[in-house]
Amino acid sequence: MTKPIRIALTKGRLEKDTVALFEKLGFDCTQLHNKGRKLILQVPDANLEVVLAKAADVITYVEHGVCDLGVVGKDTIMEHGGSFFEITDLGFGRCRFALCGPEGRDFYGGYAVKTIASKYPGVTRRFFAGKGMDIQIVKIEGSVELAPLLGLSDAIVDIVETGSTLRENGLEVYEDVAPISARVIVNTASIKLRKQEIEGLIARIEAVL
Amino acid sequence: MALKKYYNITPEGTRDLLFEECGTQKKVEGALSQLFAGRGFTEVVTPTVEFLDVFQQKSSYIAPEKLYKTTDGKGRLIVLRPDSTIPIARLVSTRLKGFPLPIRLYYSQPVFSVNQSLSGRSDEVVQMGIEIIGSASKRADLEVISTAVEALSACDTSDFRLEIGHIGIFNTLIARFGIPEDAAEEIRRLIEIKNYPALNDLLDNMDCGEGAGMLKMLPRLFGGEEVFSQAEGIFKDETITGILRYLRGIYTALAELGLREKITVDLGIVNRNDYYTGIVFRGYVEGFGETALSGGRYDSLYADFGQDLPATGFGVNVDAIAKALRGREASGMAPDVLVHGEPGFEMKALLLCKELGAQGLMVENSVFDTLEQARAYGQTRGIPRLIQVSDTREEIAMKGAGRK
Repeated sequence: MTKPIRIALTKGRLEKDTVALFEKLGFDCTQLHNKGRKLILQVPDANLEVVLAKAADVITYVEHGVCDLGVVGKDTIMEHGGSFFEITDLGFGRCRFALCGPEGRDFYGGYAVKTIASKYPGVTRRFFAGKGMDIQIVKIEGSVELAPLLGLSDAIVDIVETGSTLRENGLEVYEDVAPISARVIVNTASIKLRKQEIEGLIARIEAVL
Repeated sequence: MALKKYYNITPEGTRDLLFEECGTQKKVEGALSQLFAGRGFTEVVTPTVEFLDVFQQKSSYIAPEKLYKTTDGKGRLIVLRPDSTIPIARLVSTRLKGFPLPIRLYYSQPVFSVNQSLSGRSDEVVQMGIEIIGSASKRADLEVISTAVEALSACDTSDFRLEIGHIGIFNTLIARFGIPEDAAEEIRRLIEIKNYPALNDLLDNMDCGEGAGMLKMLPRLFGGEEVFSQAEGIFKDETITGILRYLRGIYTALAELGLREKITVDLGIVNRNDYYTGIVFRGYVEGFGETALSGGRYDSLYADFGQDLPATGFGVNVDAIAKALRGREASGMAPDVLVHGEPGFEMKALLLCKELGAQGLMVENSVFDTLEQARAYGQTRGIPRLIQVSDTREEIAMKGAGRK
């Protein structure tokens, strides 16, 4: 048997959705369901080795080639960047980046430099650089919605799914920044060294999407 | 007095090389030097620092934020060399004016670039490579590419691939379908990272006729010889069919050398910041997740130095190869024999060292005062043999000898 293809999955919801996808393909996912504390799991019939990691680490592992493939959200890709191939949109894990702030305010009005709170300073910087707008960014680790409520920032750039947290706190979406969904990323050397196996797997995945 | 916070660590992105790491690295360097010299390339060394201007001319090939910069004594900006090809272009354009063409050079020296913090990449990497300057012929391309394949195989990694492509296909499509510069750059970027979904979205929303379908296919056109027939079915443009014929010619010639399964084609190689103008190629080795070798034809670089010289070449990342090989070498850091001369017999011991050395053994001459100290040292180092030299030569038994 050849060396298995190693795929890194983002722990949590994307992991569950990917496992469901593997089951649709008829893979034996026993280990993935009974993983205990194990971090490296086998899908023997598909010659796959699954690694569970935090989103940003999925990118790091794939970039360095210790994992051949990765499943990670477009949000993490946009924030961290890196050199890898982004070949498939899996279509699940859908949400969007949006610029949000207190209801009824004219965000773009006035000449004062705006302060934006975000867990995603990279995405925020690029969004406003694209508009040619100088802003100040404050990095927040937890509930970003607090920042404008407490008066630390004028607005936030964050992931919005249903928008219910925003509404409950008197915030609204000013503008969409970018759509998000789960992507398959591939190491740049792996796709060259193991083209057939990787393309074969991707084709099977795309067939059931 | 300033606090010496950093006195016992090396700067981020740099590292010490010890023992077998160093050995592997030097072995790769040795194998490549031998190969390059054996194929008629002559070594040159350029300074570690160059003026910034060398790298920032009409076109800036290397992003300024990637350069290690400082100033010289007169306040002029100088950089640690980020690349060897451009300094060699400077060297050839000044020192070798009028030299018989083509000029065949090779180099083996570190290059420096600022990498993103905590990315685990080295800022200092030893690069070796060759350049053929002053020939626009297909033979020169073939000479360079076949040397690249030999270089990868001389390094003795468990597996490798060399992929070839041509920058002209993308450029021709962009020009033919009149795609504006900023959109072209975005398309180029998406092709480079093989981001199929975003590339499709972008092209579907643009008005470039049948060009959209062709550009969408470009990053998918990689693999073996079948890529050529696929591509011929898609591209009818004369310039592009000419390029495809050229590439197929190179591919067939390499296949004739018995390298068919090591050579792949990728028509989606479209790097930015590159000086490449024609055929481009890259090497990958098992055990290293990034490009280990890259090269191609660069016919316009010399114009920046006032010369009209076509050129082609490649560079290998020696650190990458050494990393791929690491763990495969035996430790080999302990010598085979420790020789201890008793007082008055030091010169005799030295003679024995020389004698054993001539037999190909690695011999260490003991610098200890007593045999006991020498034996204790030999045991901790795992040296299998100890010879005591006095009137006679006596093999001293080592406890746990050969446990290496």
